Amino acid sequence: MIIKIAWKNIWRSRARSFVVIGSIVLGVWALLVATGFMNGFMVSYMADIINHDISNAQVHNPVFKKDFDIKFYIPNGAKKAATLRKWPEIKATTTRTIINGMIASPKKATGVQIRGIDVENEVKVTQLNSLIKDGAYFEGIKRNPIVIGSKLAEELKVKVRSKVVVTFTNNEGMITSGAFRIVGIVKSSSLKINELYAFVRQEDLAKISGIGNQVHEIGILAQPQVSEASIISKYEELYKEDKIETWREIAPELAFMQSIYSQMLYVLMVIIMSALVFGIINTMLMAVLERFRELGMLMAVGMNRVKVYLMILIETVFLGVVAAPLGLLIGWLTISYYSHAGVDLTNYSEGLESFGYSSILYPYLDDNVYVIVTISVFVTAIIGALYPAWKAVKLNPVEALHKL
Amino acid sequence: MSVIKTENVTKTYNQTKVPVHALNGVNLTIEKGEFTAIVGPSGCGKTTLLNILGGLDHPTEGRVEVADINITDMSDGKLIDFRLQNIGFVFQAYNLIPVLTNKENVEFIMLLQKKDKKTRDDRAMDLLNQMGIADKADQRPSELSGGQQQRVAVARALASKPKVILADEPTANLDSKSTATLLDIMARMNAEENATFVFSTHDQRVIDKAKRVITLEDGVVISDVVCTPKNPN
Repeated sequence: MIIKIAWKNIWRSRARSFVVIGSIVLGVWALLVATGFMNGFMVSYMADIINHDISNAQVHNPVFKKDFDIKFYIPNGAKKAATLRKWPEIKATTTRTIINGMIASPKKATGVQIRGIDVENEVKVTQLNSLIKDGAYFEGIKRNPIVIGSKLAEELKVKVRSKVVVTFTNNEGMITSGAFRIVGIVKSSSLKINELYAFVRQEDLAKISGIGNQVHEIGILAQPQVSEASIISKYEELYKEDKIETWREIAPELAFMQSIYSQMLYVLMVIIMSALVFGIINTMLMAVLERFRELGMLMAVGMNRVKVYLMILIETVFLGVVAAPLGLLIGWLTISYYSHAGVDLTNYSEGLESFGYSSILYPYLDDNVYVIVTISVFVTAIIGALYPAWKAVKLNPVEALHKL
Repeated sequence: MSVIKTENVTKTYNQTKVPVHALNGVNLTIEKGEFTAIVGPSGCGKTTLLNILGGLDHPTEGRVEVADINITDMSDGKLIDFRLQNIGFVFQAYNLIPVLTNKENVEFIMLLQKKDKKTRDDRAMDLLNQMGIADKADQRPSELSGGQQQRVAVARALASKPKVILADEPTANLDSKSTATLLDIMARMNAEENATFVFSTHDQRVIDKAKRVITLEDGVVISDVVCTPKNPN
């Protein structure tokens, strides 16, 4: 009966209940959409960098990353990469020769990281070919083709088929140069790919670097659902002389960003739910104050304080029961629609791209966010009901019965 | 057998600078099945006395016993349960629950007493029948006239067969026809169910129906008369 009375009570003042329900719906929707958009930015940014650049894990010579000295290659790197390829936990591996140097066009020169790649396996690990915006992925130019990022191309004022010269210190410590012709221009959310990297064929680089077939980096793409930690421990057991790191260690800023973004859900939730709490308190307090006499009668005839308290609490929870699914549904529809259609932010593309963000945003939400938001609505409703319910049970039946 | 016994009950309100003595040494004994009117001018202490007898208020001094239970110093929590099990209330303003049907209003106290559905249904319909409003069982109180609403309130008060039914000015908001009907019903329930009615009133028609009239003035019982109702029907 308490549940029945509570349910009917919320429809006594429909306008007031609809205001609260509307505010909860709006709050839930705003929370989901804001979180979905933030996640969308983060996921696309991270996915671009992890999928197209870092991959799940990388192997280096332990001292290589200190100063990127050409001498610190991975002993038997190509062989190790081939072995790793056979592991069931690993989907693909690729090897890279990495040398820092300069790149020059007829008009300008700038610093660059020259990455000698295994053209075929690189695609399997980083899908580098999918980033080609202009030209082709190592096709159409037979001698010394090079792929560079769009920003670098802009800076050098070059385009496909332009000639560039890369200069670096070779294995003997001599300055050496090689002429390459641009075969493709890539564009990515990764600032490194856009601005810093120049991809050449491993064998072309080997001819001028003097280190033969040695490699500085093995990129590892794990099978879906495989924990990176299991690969790390297995590798470390087998090849103690190398250093293997996950993307979290290679790019701690990404891991930090991921944790900040996941905290943002809670920050937004606290802000929105705090606003809702005051709305609920206000509404329920009004509901209690205008039913003073009735509540007094209920206590006079023998309804105990626990039941009165519960009744007010249940009324508030019912408001959440009506509002939360609506808010969740509208939020889910919004996220679902835009996660396929995308949100066109090309008006702000210049600013977004300077931070490495894509100008088309695909909002994304984990299923557990819906669960967390649902729980938060009910916790908020209960918190919002505590004071009005306390006010109700504190009233004196005699005084309440004589209230006009 | 007495169902209500008060000894030297005093109630003083200290909410203003000058203490107000609402009741001043009231001694009463009310037997089971009595149909008693407490009368007197406004402010004489009728409602205060009913509140104390019903366990809604505590006396400042004295002792109150209802249904052989000493409720004088009972805690508020225990008083709620005492009222649920022993007292039926009829209020001047009916105080029905507007969101429930009339039948549900009558059932409400039995539900708090955790009586089973069949008992509740049978008793509620029986009472509504006796009140002459069985056809309004599924309507809301707002669809009834004042007199009909008060009949629902009386049915609610009687539903759990309480030891005492306390009615505070039950006819104050009713026209003469509704008053007469309600009084007839209350008198009949008093006779048929041997229910003990104590009501405060200054309505002469109600006083005429009472079997006993206790007159209060300035918080003191100035007369207590057992009488034969002038118009039994």
